[in-house]
Amino acid sequence: MLDKKVLEELKVALGDSNVKSDVESLICYSYDGTFQENLPDVVVKPQNVKQISDIMKISSKYNVPVVPRGAGTGLSGGVVPLKGGIVLEMTAFNRIIEINPINKYAVVEPGVITNDFASEVEKYGLFYPPDPASGKTSTLGGNVGECAGGPRGVKYGVTKDYILELEIVLPSGEVVTVGNRVDGETGWFDLPLLFTGSEGTLGVITKIAIRLINKPTTKQTALAKYDTLVDAAKTVSTIIKNGVIPTTIEIMDRTTIEAVENFLQIGLDTEKEAFLLLEVDGESYEVTKQLKQVEDICFDCGAVEVEVATTHEESERLWKARKSISGACGKINPTKIGEDATVPRSKIPEMIIRIREIAEKYKLKMVIFGHAGDGNLHPNILTDKRNLEEMERVEEAVSELFEAAIGLGGTLSGEHGIGYMKAPFLKMEVGETGYNTMKKVKQVFDPLQILNPNKIFSPEKEEE
Amino acid sequence: MSKDKFQQWENELTKCIKCGTCRGVCPVFQSVDDESYVARGKMRLVEALITEKIGLTDGLADRMSMCLMCKACTSGCPSGVNTDKVFLEMRNYLAENKGLPTVKKMAFTWLKYRNIFDLSLRLGSTFQDLILKKALRGEGKVPRIPIPVAGFNKRRIIPSLAKKPLRSILPEQVNVKNPKMKVAFFTGCMMNYVYTESGVALVDVLRANNIEVIIPKNQQCCGTPIFTSGDFETARILIKQNLHVFKDLDVDAIVTGCASCGLVWKKEFKKVLEKDDELISVAENLAKKSYDISEFLAKIELNENLGEISKNVTYHDPCHLNRGQGISKQPRNLIKKIPGIKFVEMKNADNCCGSGGSFNLSYYDISRDINNRKVNNVLDTKADLLLTSCSACRMHIEDGLYQQGQSLPVRHMVELLAQSYKEKGVI
Repeated sequence: MLDKKVLEELKVALGDSNVKSDVESLICYSYDGTFQENLPDVVVKPQNVKQISDIMKISSKYNVPVVPRGAGTGLSGGVVPLKGGIVLEMTAFNRIIEINPINKYAVVEPGVITNDFASEVEKYGLFYPPDPASGKTSTLGGNVGECAGGPRGVKYGVTKDYILELEIVLPSGEVVTVGNRVDGETGWFDLPLLFTGSEGTLGVITKIAIRLINKPTTKQTALAKYDTLVDAAKTVSTIIKNGVIPTTIEIMDRTTIEAVENFLQIGLDTEKEAFLLLEVDGESYEVTKQLKQVEDICFDCGAVEVEVATTHEESERLWKARKSISGACGKINPTKIGEDATVPRSKIPEMIIRIREIAEKYKLKMVIFGHAGDGNLHPNILTDKRNLEEMERVEEAVSELFEAAIGLGGTLSGEHGIGYMKAPFLKMEVGETGYNTMKKVKQVFDPLQILNPNKIFSPEKEEE
Repeated sequence: MSKDKFQQWENELTKCIKCGTCRGVCPVFQSVDDESYVARGKMRLVEALITEKIGLTDGLADRMSMCLMCKACTSGCPSGVNTDKVFLEMRNYLAENKGLPTVKKMAFTWLKYRNIFDLSLRLGSTFQDLILKKALRGEGKVPRIPIPVAGFNKRRIIPSLAKKPLRSILPEQVNVKNPKMKVAFFTGCMMNYVYTESGVALVDVLRANNIEVIIPKNQQCCGTPIFTSGDFETARILIKQNLHVFKDLDVDAIVTGCASCGLVWKKEFKKVLEKDDELISVAENLAKKSYDISEFLAKIELNENLGEISKNVTYHDPCHLNRGQGISKQPRNLIKKIPGIKFVEMKNADNCCGSGGSFNLSYYDISRDINNRKVNNVLDTKADLLLTSCSACRMHIEDGLYQQGQSLPVRHMVELLAQSYKEKGVI
């Protein structure tokens, strides 16, 4: 139980209306986009940096956990308050402070919605490439916390590639600015890189300077169809090897195609084993050339058909299937468990075979669709969380998926982060020494272990 | 009922993957920025009720009532969760097991008895100047004193009640020379008591197309404001009366100019009636021939002898027409047929105006905030006339324009069509 004094002090610091502890509020801040939930003791919505410092001081004084939260759309459980305490909702920090077209950066508060920001910078002819699927609702602070990615990752990288400078409230309540707006480089450690993807375990981000690039003038889309999944996978690595970097290479396997066709009935060819959705962008002369190259490679690798969109409407039509997958899967089974274990591009064919084997072994419905271009295949298990027996098999299958990805030289997380979901597997990827090094870093910033406990790192008990 | 309902709600809950997409589309959430007021959060509260983690708390009732019923979360949900259905049924469950707020109870008793309702609105039109003063810019009135039953905020503007209700202005049967069709007109309350000129225009447009119109005197409120508050029992009385009034009419179609009335006639009568009600089949049959006026005009061979009106116009999509009935192209196409009209699309034309029927009575400030976003989008178009297909949206946007000191007129789109026919002397 939370000490009454904590609530009182929080109310003094933030005002009554920014501190909520009614049961309905607590229930609604107990979850994110994952399955585990736990009630916090209080939800606070700070309005300025000073209030966050105050919160950190109160939580240090009473040893209460603090979980920073954006929109709660995460897929690894980053904002589930596993040990209760304070949920720190950052959505009041929602201003775009500056867009600087000459030096090509923007300064924002962490509660700004990803897509709102992206469309705002476009007005200046600038481009913020990371495009997580949840971009319509996710916050930039959350994107930095989890190091979010998206389909454009193949060409443009993920969130960490765009973070120049961060203002951070440390667990002690002190405020520090790390990195710089010019080029991100400073004379000291690259702390913006450390904080990006730290999942709220090291500090609370209150301001973000973001690198921007020029908006490409043209974009073209193609859809390639294959008789075997392996041919599609081979295409991905061949394209990149040949020096063409598409913006996006998305894969859909037959199960996914069938699901979407059942859902939309738009005449998709359900006889095919795989679709690749490819997009190239840049200046128009290079786009035309590159798209031709991509088309040729698709055929060389065994594509039976390649559709090229020439208008915006046609491109929308090609994307329609990809964008409707979530809804389509919901029609098959109510619960969808998506993973983002990622392998090197060259290992995609092997990984696909392994995923299929695992699905068969545990008798689970699994669809494969995702950002094949960067090796992030998003195997999704379609299940029903009410079926407890099946959920056990799901759990076993998931850990085997992780093992397979790591075994192929991959990583647990392409873009969702570690959270609580993958924490038990982290040692498998980083090794004993790596894990202990990370713990020491955590200790430096957060000696009282107040910030987002049991995320990235497993609970202490399990470690013993 | 509860076990059965709980099971159905649970099926919807299982589909919710908690992705949070609803946060991006819910107008109320965008104003209050609180997870417990967005569909994802409210679904969790429904789950908490089913699993007995919470009871029928005031906090739960508050979250359930703070919803515009605009269906944005439902149509935006990638997993197809029928949130609108769950929240409506939750309101019903709360009303039956916890009770309605007293204010609404009073208002609905009044609506139930047509004669008293009719009389009080008639008297209201005579005596309204005692409590309402004319708004500065001429359109509508502002209350002199707060009116508790309506929850009127003192600074808000409400339109004048018509001197004479539509159904008294128009005869019960409007004949034309060579009728090619015959339709019944379900007026709805807003056209009957407030915007009677829209109702007259609707009949004029039908006349211009050689269509005979029946306007049954004994029709009632469609029930929307009542059952959306959870009071299915009172709504059923009205629905049954309406079905009795319309069921034996020899007409080709039932048309309405109200988005919510149209939605009810097409889809919701049978949801509100008890499963074994003998009128279910009547409701189903009448649903098949119920049309919004724009939908109906798009279906017939339209008299295109339209006169010129040179105006820049924009159009607001009512939630219950667009997401409720899938009608958004028809009104636009009709407007564009009028010579001289320049149509400018506004940003987020399909976003809710914030009215939400009785929502704006209970939560005027939030409702105003949502409406201000709509009004700003309208003003950005630089249009000199705003058109829509719903009188409730119109009333709320008129208030918003007044609050911002704007004098932009708002009309039902059918009024512009009628005006165009008049320009050519068709009617």
